[in-house]
Amino acid sequence: MRKYTVQVARALVYTGLTLAVATLLILGAGASPLQCAGVFIRGIFGSLNGFAEVLVKAAPLMLAGLGISIGFRSGFFNIGAEGQMYMGAIAATVVAMWPVQMPSWIHVTLAMAAAFLAGGLWAFIPGILKAKFGISEIINTLMLNYIAFDLTGILIRGVLQDSTDYLPQSPALGPELAGILAPTRLHAGFLLALLMVLIVWWLMEHTPTGFELQVVGSNKRAARCLGINVMKSIVIASCLGGGLAGIAGAGELLGIQHRLLEGLVGGSGYTAILVALLGRNNPWGVLAASIGFAALQVGANTMQRQMGIPAAIVSILTGFIVILLLCDALILKLIEKRKVEGAA
Amino acid sequence: MKGIVKAFPGVIANNHVNLSVKAGEIHALLGENGAGKTTLMNILYGLYQADSGSVYWKGEKVHFHSPLDAIAAGIGMVHQHFTLIPTMTVLQNIILGLKEKGYPFIKITEITESIQALAKRYGLAVDVKKRVCELSVGEQQRVEILKALYRGAELLVLDEPTAVLTPQETCEFFEVLRRLKSEGHAVILITHRMAEIMAISDRVTILRDGSDLAVMNTQDTDPASLAKLMIGSELPERPVIEPHKGDAAPLLELKDIVVKKERISRLAISLQVYPGEIVGIAGVDGNGQKELAEVICGILSASQGTIQYDGQDITKATVYQRFRRGIAYISDDRHHDGLVLDMNLRQNLMLRKYKLSPYTKHGCLNRNKMDEFSSSCIGKYQIKPPSPGIKMRLLSGGNQQKAILAREISEEAKLIVACQPTRGLDIGATMQVRSILAEQRNRGAGILLISADLDEILSLSDRIAVLFRGQLMGVLDNGAELKTETIGSMMGGRPLAEGETTYA
Amino acid sequence: MEQIFTLAFLTSFLSAAVSTAIPLAYASMGEIYSEKAGILNIGLEANMLAGAFCSFAVAYTSGSLWMGLLGGIVGGLAVCMLHAFISVRLAQNQTICGIALNIFLLGISSYFLKILVSNNPAFPQVATFPKLAIPGLSAIPLIGEALFNQNILVYILYLLIGMSQVLLKHTQWGNSLTAVGEHPRAADTVGIRVYRTQYLAAAINGMLGGMSGAYMVLAQLGVFTENMTAGRGYIALAVVIFGRREPIRAALAALLFGAAECMQFRMQALGIDLPAQFMNMLPYLITMIALLGSIGKQRDPESLGKPYIRDAR
Repeated sequence: MRKYTVQVARALVYTGLTLAVATLLILGAGASPLQCAGVFIRGIFGSLNGFAEVLVKAAPLMLAGLGISIGFRSGFFNIGAEGQMYMGAIAATVVAMWPVQMPSWIHVTLAMAAAFLAGGLWAFIPGILKAKFGISEIINTLMLNYIAFDLTGILIRGVLQDSTDYLPQSPALGPELAGILAPTRLHAGFLLALLMVLIVWWLMEHTPTGFELQVVGSNKRAARCLGINVMKSIVIASCLGGGLAGIAGAGELLGIQHRLLEGLVGGSGYTAILVALLGRNNPWGVLAASIGFAALQVGANTMQRQMGIPAAIVSILTGFIVILLLCDALILKLIEKRKVEGAA
Repeated sequence: MKGIVKAFPGVIANNHVNLSVKAGEIHALLGENGAGKTTLMNILYGLYQADSGSVYWKGEKVHFHSPLDAIAAGIGMVHQHFTLIPTMTVLQNIILGLKEKGYPFIKITEITESIQALAKRYGLAVDVKKRVCELSVGEQQRVEILKALYRGAELLVLDEPTAVLTPQETCEFFEVLRRLKSEGHAVILITHRMAEIMAISDRVTILRDGSDLAVMNTQDTDPASLAKLMIGSELPERPVIEPHKGDAAPLLELKDIVVKKERISRLAISLQVYPGEIVGIAGVDGNGQKELAEVICGILSASQGTIQYDGQDITKATVYQRFRRGIAYISDDRHHDGLVLDMNLRQNLMLRKYKLSPYTKHGCLNRNKMDEFSSSCIGKYQIKPPSPGIKMRLLSGGNQQKAILAREISEEAKLIVACQPTRGLDIGATMQVRSILAEQRNRGAGILLISADLDEILSLSDRIAVLFRGQLMGVLDNGAELKTETIGSMMGGRPLAEGETTYA
Repeated sequence: MEQIFTLAFLTSFLSAAVSTAIPLAYASMGEIYSEKAGILNIGLEANMLAGAFCSFAVAYTSGSLWMGLLGGIVGGLAVCMLHAFISVRLAQNQTICGIALNIFLLGISSYFLKILVSNNPAFPQVATFPKLAIPGLSAIPLIGEALFNQNILVYILYLLIGMSQVLLKHTQWGNSLTAVGEHPRAADTVGIRVYRTQYLAAAINGMLGGMSGAYMVLAQLGVFTENMTAGRGYIALAVVIFGRREPIRAALAALLFGAAECMQFRMQALGIDLPAQFMNMLPYLITMIALLGSIGKQRDPESLGKPYIRDAR
């Protein structure tokens, strides 16, 4: 019973503080918080389109977040989802531009497979460097983000550029992920993300490989002494994680943009890190957290369109929630103290 | 120190402990692992804060908030695990954190001179320009003592200082202690070795289960009664070792094995282990014991030589392959090598067999079978608490070790590599571990027992090999008349001469 | 092509390279202190953004560049202390905290910018620190212009680099800092206050990061724009690695990376047909290669990124 009240108090503190910050930001922008709340909620639930948009935005976060969570649980601290998403998108573009006649669904499947491979390979670089030489993956994955971004920039001004146009972007791609809820933008990528949640959960909880990854994640040295191939595990974790991020990038490409452009990923690789953290590296948690973040984005976009509230509020609240979460111990302590004082 | 109480989550480490030490005396603090010796000393040194009770220093009540206060008062401490920074030089380590003349700059020549003067006075020779990582363990200990003396320590706390020394080095070390005593320093010596207490201390305080039991003059007591006080009951009986089963083909044969670490040869050895015998590896810590264990288990690879096991060459086999062929490994470092502390007991028990049938079928883990296995392990080895879902971190050292034994030892185990299997355990758990090893030997398993505790080696082994700087100084048959001095000098680096008699 | 060899071209190129390198050098100098003390602060971007925005806001409202600089320092300090509090006191994951702060600061700085802009009909702008030529030195051909005809913040940086080099390498304080990053328990047992040292290192990191952002506003652009640091915080992390956590080496690394950035604009002028993104990519590639080359030679502080919990048994 006591534990339960603490949980409730904690949830109240979190929502209370987040709402307070949101209110302040809205007031600062000169709008009415209540009106904004209405707009925010209507933006998400008010129309089929809004609701579908949440799922559209959740898909890449979910996929990349899953990939990152595998890494975190296996001791591979992957902050390179951003770059892996770009690499996935590049590979998918190359395959999609491939002028061969084949049924569209095969073409899309091939493009997605290529994206998985490319993202995986991109993560394999820091993975093998860590496994073999013990070089910190944090810096390497970070560097690879920028390299992938610049590589995209080079390619869409070069070999992948739309020859009929001067804009730095690829031609419109034929193969696409099928829409699943016309007329909204929701596409098959979301179903794929859901499927991946299930697969990752099964892999981590019910297979020997998942067990090994977790052992490596909590104690590499013991894993080695017990005969688990640590190098193989790190490579598996990094490639799998990178591959999922690659699919996330390709999903954005083939489901939404249909062209490779520089802003394609636009920071969701970093947000996905926070999604993994908020979801406690558990696939179902990642599912919930990605939808939560996506809802925040969609609601805030509506607020920007209708009320002129800066969309920056999304980044502010995202950062704020994670910082709160990091201060969890402190918040719990304050709650406990309150209770003791209250009892006295 | 009066009425000191300190509790950690789940244990009361110190329960109203009193301790008093006079100037110019060597005071031994005796107690089993987990009796609260180190906690008490950490409180004295300001690293931990006592929950209640007070510390008196030169007759005045004091409160040390941090080691800084304790150092300022004149207390120095040498921890069991040295607190030196390997990448820094001896000089930098000795003056670390001090604000001396010229601060913040370092007057190297002046400081070097004063350190050397100090070293000469107490007989603690060491090269101040060397980096700590280039020093031997004995030298590092001297640096630690110099570090404390340089800070003007009048009371020195030494936590298990002889664990890393050979018998000869221990003698030299005692000379240093006597010199300290004659200069008026007080010394608190934490140990559980009776012989040392009798040899060097003036008085002794005995701790048991977090309380102080007795203070006595060393002259007025004897090892047997001290041991009785420390354990609280008669010493448990030694495990029965049946006579060796006679000749068979060797189970394990190391031929000219060389292990190199960072291009330095750490081990160069040839050795046989027969089924049904315990081969004890004696030697001071850090002379290649760990490398020996790991090269047999496949964790380290040999740069030269071959390993024959059970009639096959396993030099190139992986850790997992060797385990499947019956090589079990009990590591000296439970927390890092043997267990995953953040996982639960069930998962830890499964760490070796999770991918074998019936625990994995068609690529899926079978929870029920895993539960069955862990329950049977918990029952057989009396692991407490008997809940498979408990986090490994929360188990006591003895129960953690039992979990490792349960996991490693089964009917299939033909060779057991036991590296310091009783380190950090209390007497009860120690005896249990030893009798399990004896049982396995009697069943016909070959056992390589690596231990820094010579008594353990002598009481369990059929044959004894002595390791020094990665090389074997000789192999002896164990027997009642074996001269411990011989082993002692071999531990110090004197190889066994051909035809030398080792029996009294 | 022969244009590249003219003195005028090289002089202006070098001058631009130094100018571009300064924010990187400031930020990396701070990070060196932090990493030496065992705190990996990946939130340099946040420090710089805070410094840039606060210096801009303060300079704009007060009309004083020096007040602006102070504002920038305080802004960077505040962000860094939050990071230190979470990673030292609450012993949380330092990398996650850094990323969260980066995202938070990106949002909050552009939010306040919007408010600032919406209250002003004209886009707000501030003056910049003037160039001060050092007599004699600035007349040295080639490098004089680049190194000694700069604004005051550049000269302050020179001083800081020299001081840091001495402080970290040759003083007792530097040893203490290293000890905290290598073996906090050992440092604790000799009475070095581990937490205080880490907070202090974080404070230095925050102030220097703030100055780095302030430099971009008060010496380079005179305005604050959304996400104006554009990843320079991450390049500064690379500078620290490439500079092996030594101030002078890091300053040289910053110069190299600055030169790479300047090169991309000049290449087009020179008619070299390489995409600008290629030069952009170079610093990151170089850092990865440097990391590869450091195998077995350079190592991270032993407890970098790991929180120290004193009472842990």
